[in-house]
Amino acid sequence: MPDEQIVGAVMVVGGGIAGIQASLDLAESGYRVYLVEAKSAIGGHMAQLDKTFPTNDCAMCIVSPRLVDCGRHRNIELLVDSQVLGVRGEAGKFTVRVRTRPRYIDLEKCTGCGDCAKVCPVIIPGRFNEGLDMQRAAHKLYPQAVPNAYAIEKRGISPCRNACPAGQRAQGYIALIREGRYEDALRVIKEDNPFPGICGRICNHRCEDACNRGKLDDPVNIHALKRFVTDKVYSKPRVPPQPAERRYSERVAIIGAGPCGLTAAQDLCKLGYPVTVFEALPVAGGMLRVGVPEYRLPSWIVDREVQDIVDLGVELRLNTRVENLDDVFNEGFSAVLIAVGAHEGRKLPIEGADLEGVMVNTVFLRDVRLGNPPDIAGKRVMVLGGGNVAVDVARTSVRLGAAEVHMACLESRAKMPAHPWEIEAAEAEGVRIHPARSFKRILSDGNGRVAGVECLNVTFMEFSADGRLTLETEPGSEHIIPCDVVIFSIGQRAGLGFIPESAGVGITRQQTIAVNPNTLAATRPGVFAAGDATTGTAFVIEAVASGHRAAESIHRYLRGEELEPRLKPELPVVDLTRAEIQERIARGEIRVTPRVKMPELPVEERVRNFAEVETGYTEEQAQAEAARCLACGVCSECLYCWYECKAGAVDHDMVERIQEIQVGAIVLAPGYEVFHAERAAEYGWGRFPNVVTALQFERLLSASGPTFGHVRRPSDGERPKKIAFLQCIGSRDAEHDYCSAVCCMYATKEAIMSIEHEPDTEVTIFMMDMRAFSKGYYEYYRRAQQRYGIRYVRSRVSSVREDPRTHNLVLRYVEAGKQGDKEGSTEHAARSTQIREEEFDLVVLSVGMEMSEAVRELARRLNVAVDEHGFCRTLPFAPLQTSRPGIFAVGPFREPKDIPESVVEASGAAAAVGAILAPARWTCTEEAVYPPERDVSAEEPRVGVFVCHCGSNIGGLLDVPAVAEYARTLPGVVHAEHNLYTCSQDSIRHIAEQTRELGLNRVVVASCTPLTHEPLFQDSVRQAGLNPGLFTMANIRNQCSWVHSDLREDATEKAKDLVRMAVARALHLEPLYKTAIEVQKVALVIGGGVAGMTAALTLADQGFPVHLVERAAELGGNLRTVRKIVRWEGQPVWLETAAFLHELVERVQRHPLITVYLRSELLESSGFAGNFTSRVCTPDGEVEIRHGATIVATGGVEYRGPEYGYGSDPRIITQQELERLIGEDAPSAFRALRSVAMILCVGPAERYCSRICCTTAIKNALALKQLNPEMQVTVIYHDIRTYAFKERLYDEARRQGVLFVRYDFERKPIVEGGDPNRQSLSSNPLTVRVWEPSLGEELELHPDLLVLSMPVVAPEGAKELGTRLKVPVDLDGFFLEAHVKLRPVDFASDGLFLAGMAHYPKFLDETIVQAQAAAARALTILSRDKLEVGGVVAQVDAGKCVGCLTCVRICPYNVPQVRADFSGVGGIIGAAYIEPAQCHGCGICVAECPARAIQLLRYRDVQVEASITALLKPEMVNV
Amino acid sequence: MNAPFEPKIIAFCCRYCAYAAADLAGGLRIQYPPNVRIIEVPCTGRVDVVEILHAFERGADGVMVAGCLEGDCHFLEGNLNARRRVQYSARLLEQIGLGGERVAMVNLSSAMGARFAELVTEMTEKIRKLGPNPLNTTRHGRN
Repeated sequence: MPDEQIVGAVMVVGGGIAGIQASLDLAESGYRVYLVEAKSAIGGHMAQLDKTFPTNDCAMCIVSPRLVDCGRHRNIELLVDSQVLGVRGEAGKFTVRVRTRPRYIDLEKCTGCGDCAKVCPVIIPGRFNEGLDMQRAAHKLYPQAVPNAYAIEKRGISPCRNACPAGQRAQGYIALIREGRYEDALRVIKEDNPFPGICGRICNHRCEDACNRGKLDDPVNIHALKRFVTDKVYSKPRVPPQPAERRYSERVAIIGAGPCGLTAAQDLCKLGYPVTVFEALPVAGGMLRVGVPEYRLPSWIVDREVQDIVDLGVELRLNTRVENLDDVFNEGFSAVLIAVGAHEGRKLPIEGADLEGVMVNTVFLRDVRLGNPPDIAGKRVMVLGGGNVAVDVARTSVRLGAAEVHMACLESRAKMPAHPWEIEAAEAEGVRIHPARSFKRILSDGNGRVAGVECLNVTFMEFSADGRLTLETEPGSEHIIPCDVVIFSIGQRAGLGFIPESAGVGITRQQTIAVNPNTLAATRPGVFAAGDATTGTAFVIEAVASGHRAAESIHRYLRGEELEPRLKPELPVVDLTRAEIQERIARGEIRVTPRVKMPELPVEERVRNFAEVETGYTEEQAQAEAARCLACGVCSECLYCWYECKAGAVDHDMVERIQEIQVGAIVLAPGYEVFHAERAAEYGWGRFPNVVTALQFERLLSASGPTFGHVRRPSDGERPKKIAFLQCIGSRDAEHDYCSAVCCMYATKEAIMSIEHEPDTEVTIFMMDMRAFSKGYYEYYRRAQQRYGIRYVRSRVSSVREDPRTHNLVLRYVEAGKQGDKEGSTEHAARSTQIREEEFDLVVLSVGMEMSEAVRELARRLNVAVDEHGFCRTLPFAPLQTSRPGIFAVGPFREPKDIPESVVEASGAAAAVGAILAPARWTCTEEAVYPPERDVSAEEPRVGVFVCHCGSNIGGLLDVPAVAEYARTLPGVVHAEHNLYTCSQDSIRHIAEQTRELGLNRVVVASCTPLTHEPLFQDSVRQAGLNPGLFTMANIRNQCSWVHSDLREDATEKAKDLVRMAVARALHLEPLYKTAIEVQKVALVIGGGVAGMTAALTLADQGFPVHLVERAAELGGNLRTVRKIVRWEGQPVWLETAAFLHELVERVQRHPLITVYLRSELLESSGFAGNFTSRVCTPDGEVEIRHGATIVATGGVEYRGPEYGYGSDPRIITQQELERLIGEDAPSAFRALRSVAMILCVGPAERYCSRICCTTAIKNALALKQLNPEMQVTVIYHDIRTYAFKERLYDEARRQGVLFVRYDFERKPIVEGGDPNRQSLSSNPLTVRVWEPSLGEELELHPDLLVLSMPVVAPEGAKELGTRLKVPVDLDGFFLEAHVKLRPVDFASDGLFLAGMAHYPKFLDETIVQAQAAAARALTILSRDKLEVGGVVAQVDAGKCVGCLTCVRICPYNVPQVRADFSGVGGIIGAAYIEPAQCHGCGICVAECPARAIQLLRYRDVQVEASITALLKPEMVNV
Repeated sequence: MNAPFEPKIIAFCCRYCAYAAADLAGGLRIQYPPNVRIIEVPCTGRVDVVEILHAFERGADGVMVAGCLEGDCHFLEGNLNARRRVQYSARLLEQIGLGGERVAMVNLSSAMGARFAELVTEMTEKIRKLGPNPLNTTRHGRN
């Protein structure tokens, strides 16, 4: 690909520590980075950890600065909530499709204030705390999350809302009821429905039919809860709503004050239109007021809810019948909504329909409601009809004192259209039902009055789709039901007499108004119709829904917009599966509970009057019923967050976004997921509350976790005194042929921490082997045993049982030794074992690493090869390279691994990316552009103070205006103001404007914490031409309002103090400058092994000259002794290393940019990052090299010592020697060997684990077995540490019959018979005696060959080299990195890096990766032309220096020097000098200098003391 | 009677651990008495004996120096230097009769928000018991 087509951008997938490190390294070395993370914030698992091993560093302390760096980096774009969908193209130019899920909070606007979470009523198990606590649907992943923004968890639409025609957010108001926020609940209901009191009583509640809870027991009694809310709120005095603001002049007329017309009136009035409602009756409410009987719906409810609408400013004209539609237009209305309902009852055209005593339902009910009831007392009433209205008529008749009440209808009892519960209630009140009757005629008593109804029995009936009836009756079944009154209740229709044909409004055959169903527009422009008048009789909620739609449509019409409504984002309806519900029951989240019944008046009371039959829930009943809601959608869209967010960041209409991004390479760092512990059912996780996963335990330990770091049992909150850790849960078992590599150490760490918290805790760790294989790990393990008394039991626990009374856990295990659970582990294992039971308070499952389904899916989408477990397959000699060129894999995705190795790989990937993209370096990056800086040195201080409300986070808890007012009175302050959110984008711009316009030369922001926000504000003042050093902050939120929320007055006073302190300090602030130094774009690499050569080539290939210094006469290092490596790919695959090494050496020697110095040594090195000078002694004399970075790769060597008779008998050899023999000598010599024994952990390996020996021994054992399968190979080990995939080789060795015998360091194997002069095997056999602790027996072996696994030790001279470079080595002689976890290839001094065995023993692939990583770190310096140095650094005032060397001695970085070319106090020769490029800015020397000759910039004495004085003696502060 | 004595305490907090812990206490809304005013320093190693004494001279009733956990200093050993200086200051305060208990060195990690609140509460109670700084002649009443 031509260079100009290469894209200088990289996509990093996964925002855990590996992804973060890769992003930072790439961005720092000249590439634009897109960091894609599926969660709402970056940080990954590391952010969840309490401490990190083996230093017990606080994980958050070390990771959060990285998070902030990553979040603020100009050239890193965070794509959170995002997933990669696919990729096309090739290395150098990929196009990646990325989907970003809606988070419903605008990242640009969210200030992270948390007001949304405060009001969110939806509670869900806290993910970040692994389900140990609860969180809100609106949440921030964790307090330090980056981006510092909230997100709303939404799964979809709850079925209740979906089923409701008006879209009532039932889940939302139920959640608010649960919280006791009844007013808030009512607001949510009113969001979609102006008639909550009405619908709470008479709605047909389809929501309940849809409720997912019905799959478990009964649906939630939603309508009863809705009614409860109104009862609760309406019992208080009504507060009339504020009249709506007028925004438009077009007047709208609404004909009919029923639920539909009034809903539309409300909506249009709120939109800002003048609205007039015409109502023919003397009351408003339509059918609700004159159709539904009082005992179901008291009039006052209707009146109240109508009044709430009228008070918005709706003009209501009662007793005003519209006689002609045209009159309305003539009055000047721009649009008319016809919502006249269906108020005309009908009679059947049968004989006797006009007799006295025959009525129609609507008239009957209306007369009763309007206080003019017909006299039917003592009469027999027959109601003709079987619908809900018929039931209303019948039950009203009962209450009017009718002697008998009958109902007859065509339908059979089962098919009656009335709701079953209505029919039952009627029957309970004495109504007699006559189903399946047809009415032939009404009989007269001879005086023109009703005497009875003649009926026929119906045998079949059906309404066709267009409403035609097919009816069959039984011939001869005529019979008479005697009665005095007949009331027809067979349906209603709209009275449309006021619409003349000339009006141009079409009317259907069913006497409804013809409308477009989408827009509700009638055939005449400007005329709309809705509700029953368009559909025939329906339920009130449909009228409401229709009213809303009509209003929207009229608004669009009046605004001249397209009438058809725009489609809204489609969200899925949440359909909880039964399995899912069962799972939640299993987790104890829900219990089977029947619904709380609605209390009713007893029948005998209710038939006497019109008192409401249903009496409503009490508060307790409502709470109990509300608790049954399953919160299906998670977010209920109650909109509370939307009301509350003053920044306007909440947007519930957000939709997913798919974008295509061009990048040149992709780094995959998707991380792992922990084994789902419920799959190992025998350990009881999920069933027994006191069985937790190690990740849960991590949260229990964390000071910021759910228990604030006090370890408590989930069952009872008690402190566990006896804790067991079970290792290898989801690792090294039938399903997992690998070791997860981190569990032994994290369990040890968690055990130590639990004892640190509570020293009397007893901890037992049940394990197979202790895999303490890396730097400092073995020492850590030893300390756990010796100092903390942690008990390690070598046993696999078979099952966990719970004592149901105490919730304690009983473990069964085999005491002392292996159970032989892995085939062939030892033949003797089953003997001398003893089964024990032991009780513990808490059990922690050390869960292993797995690849999630999402990661497997990612691999499929990217077409990257993975193994059967989903781990990425990479190339043996290019360990980060996936099967697809240009795509790299790092972290556990490649193989289970810990943090430092993930970080190393991340840096390594940055180097590997550079190999492709180097030509496009700096082509896609951005540089900050600022106006020139203003010189303020001669100006009087002019301080501007900006005090932040942070929504309600400060403003709600202390008096912000008073603080701003106070700030104005402080010396030097020329401007003070307060802002809603000082960090919002407009405020940031505003600060810059004010700074410019008012000529401010100091700026103070009083808001949150400078740790996250200072750079943002500094950038703002810099935009205004002010040096960022002239800015400071007062932390009045995190350290004031939030921690004194109940002490408003005290908090206000404290905030004033803090502002005063900041202002006083500001008066003394000065510009902070950085100076640019030229970078020597050259590297020095010390060591010519694989690490050194790889690092050199990585740099040279990217265009940077390298000087490679090697002490030996040839390149190659340890790899010259390693002949083959073995990998597991379903079977052992042997790879020759010779070709790889040969090519490496060739490439180094031929590379034009690499200068190799053999037989050479470094003599001296001085300088600082970007600019070192070193002297190298070569066979051709001394050479001086100037370089910008140094990489130390001096390797390690195999230990040689006299242990186990080494050196005394040629049959006792080392693994390296064995490997050479296998490779070089005639294999026939080996074929003759009958038995070989190997002893592991020799000499120094008792002190530290040399990491590679176990696997090397197994590799060689397999090689021997390959030569002669009959050969007896016995490995005498202390622990087998075949971490990660190396476990597969261990398994293979056992399958092939290699014997493994364990020993303890207390009783080491004894080797005898090593007489060098008598090599005849038969006469002088070697004897190895080994005490096998689990068997309690001594075994005796007579091997033909004894191979000792000698550890890797530091080569001679490493320590001296360290002194020359001024970098430290550890106790074992290996070079010491800056930080074990997060800076594994950096030295504490900038510009120096390390790789390979110089750091610690490691395998070839690990060495290659680490060398790439060191190169990548060096590239962050070498890739720049200039480095900025200075800023917050210590400065010596030479005129005060006495040259006492105190600073030289105390500096932890050895930076200060006393230089003879400087003169000190009184002109003496020699004064201290602190190189700004090297100074770390801690100020230790400042505080120690007896002459006070050193000052730390930005923290000068005068600046610190200004704050102190301002606090305590404000009167002493002057400008 | 005057209002009950409310001490004014200065806390020098290192940016990397203690200051971050104080921020987290806020994030978690953990309440503590409002008597402490924090001064942020890059490392407790920057805090000078003179500064501590200066605070008392100006009338502070107590001084707290809060750094990283020992062994976890971002600058390797700043907090160890601070401990030494705090101990030295305490001796001086004791000698001049102000009381060495008025100054304290504490250590915490950035995740220990609750612990920060606890330490501030303890310190405030302790100073309340000790009474006002005798050098302080101008200030009384509320914090």
